[in-house]
Amino acid sequence: MGIDVTNLVDTEQGLISRRIFIEPEIYAQELEQIFARCWLFLCHESQIPQPGDFFSTSMGEDPVLVVRDSQGQVHALLNVCRHRGNRLCRADQGNAATFTCAYHGWTYGNDGQLVGVPYLREAYFGELAQERWGLLPVAQLDSYKGLLFATFDPEAPPLLEYLGAVTWYLDAFFDRCEGGIEVVGGMHKWVVPCNWKFPAENFAGDGYHVSWSHVSAIRTGFSSNFRLQPTSGGTLLSPGNGHAIVTIDPTDVADPPVPEIVAYEEAIRPQVAQRLGPRYSLVNPIVGTVFPNFSFLRATARTFRVWHPRGPDKIELWSWIYVDKAAPPEVKEAMRLAGVRGFSPSGTFEQDDMDNWQECTRTCRGVVARRLALNTQMGLGHERYNKDLQAWASDYRFSESNHRQFYRRWAQLMRAGSWAEVASAAGVRRG
Amino acid sequence: MRAEVVREVEQFLYREARLLDERRFREWLELLTDDVRYWMPGRSTRYPKVSKALGILDPDRYREEELTREDELAILDETKETLGRRIARLETGMAWAEDPPSRTRHLLSNIEVAPGDVASELKVFANFLVYRSRAETEQDFYVGARQDVLRSVDGAWKIARRTIILDQTVLLAKNVSIFF
Repeated sequence: MGIDVTNLVDTEQGLISRRIFIEPEIYAQELEQIFARCWLFLCHESQIPQPGDFFSTSMGEDPVLVVRDSQGQVHALLNVCRHRGNRLCRADQGNAATFTCAYHGWTYGNDGQLVGVPYLREAYFGELAQERWGLLPVAQLDSYKGLLFATFDPEAPPLLEYLGAVTWYLDAFFDRCEGGIEVVGGMHKWVVPCNWKFPAENFAGDGYHVSWSHVSAIRTGFSSNFRLQPTSGGTLLSPGNGHAIVTIDPTDVADPPVPEIVAYEEAIRPQVAQRLGPRYSLVNPIVGTVFPNFSFLRATARTFRVWHPRGPDKIELWSWIYVDKAAPPEVKEAMRLAGVRGFSPSGTFEQDDMDNWQECTRTCRGVVARRLALNTQMGLGHERYNKDLQAWASDYRFSESNHRQFYRRWAQLMRAGSWAEVASAAGVRRG
Repeated sequence: MRAEVVREVEQFLYREARLLDERRFREWLELLTDDVRYWMPGRSTRYPKVSKALGILDPDRYREEELTREDELAILDETKETLGRRIARLETGMAWAEDPPSRTRHLLSNIEVAPGDVASELKVFANFLVYRSRAETEQDFYVGARQDVLRSVDGAWKIARRTIILDQTVLLAKNVSIFF
């Protein structure tokens, strides 16, 4: 029996206890009931295109190896040697037929099978049941539009059901052109001293901070300035299961003010509209979070990222820059540079966020500050289900309606003993 | 390389470092040529090909170099124009990562001066340790190597190209809001 979070998250009143951002016991429960249970993003398929290609990541705090085996099939395996528990592969990326543990030399195939044990005959007398000591695979592995996800929970609903109505919104980021997207080579990885939920909620629905936190970057030409107009349109959308999307008015442009990008976006607009259908004439999705820790953006820069939890007050931020696969080379280059300059450790937008999330987390250490709930009341009662958008929608483009849905889902998972309980608490039928 | 040239380059780099530490960014920017490329590549952990940790399946596609290439992601990839806008951002009074500002100390060593590709240029190698202190207890160490191309313009040295190579793959600092 874990900690009862019932009184910590009150989405009816818009009050969130600060205990959930700092207490080690709550963090431990999150690792069990959120990160070992939910579908988590691994990497993009284009990062491991050929047999043997691998990518090291983690699910929660568990190290995971994503690898395409010699036959071309993708596996996600706990990156932990089954003998003494050593971390098997220490490289970020590469290409391998086999992985050998640095400690005693146990060797695994790129499908996870244990294929080599030194002194097998002499020391184990040939009695080791090798077939039972392969790398632990995830319980379920699937992809959506090139995005690879996995879960350690065999009871989790299938990926498509888990994503639910957010899929159309994912298409608006990752499949708006023929061929979808590709990832620019290399990644950004850095450590930020904050609780993982601050960035997740920020990308889920904090349009509000842009017009204050990021004014300096907007005024110095790192993005377009429509956000500073109080009359601008847009709505925050919660398509269910804790996923959340920020949209702007379909006529507004959120792209970096770089001539190549502006011209490209204008040129492809009709075909994007045709591909995405009538909903695209109602909203223009620009930011979002797939619960719990996968976020994406196409305003200012094209990035998707994972907020890897590393304790209650620390994350590793892993971030990619992506481009439409069909875009011409000069547009891809402009997107690469917009990513470096806007959303990266040096990003003129991003660097200010790190600082705010750090201090939001740090002040939770004070016992008095911790007694004060976070105000999550913006737009309370000014949200409604919109059938055309297949989501709960806020009445104004600034609201904390998405925050409330995110934390409602968080609380459901933290209370539920199993996926069956989550489904009944959420009032949705499964199967 | 003649000793007086080496001495001159060293003094130029020390003065440049002092301008950064004193936050005299507009004066610092004037030390860069108009066509400067100011580049900090990314980095990842790789096993070298000889490593016995892996049995490589496809040696033709195996990549052991850690640094990202010029057309891949970088931590900084700037022109004089974008550096100028980064400085303008700091002057808005709303660049929160630098408000309150970082206190930096740029320490340079291992300076080597070599001939450039053309007569008016030099190649300069240096190691750096940049210490950043901020607010009450924040501190970061940015350690790495720099490779510069210095160009003589109207009798004065200017930086025509700077490559900044950090040693960390996962950056332990929460951001890169300073210059190198």
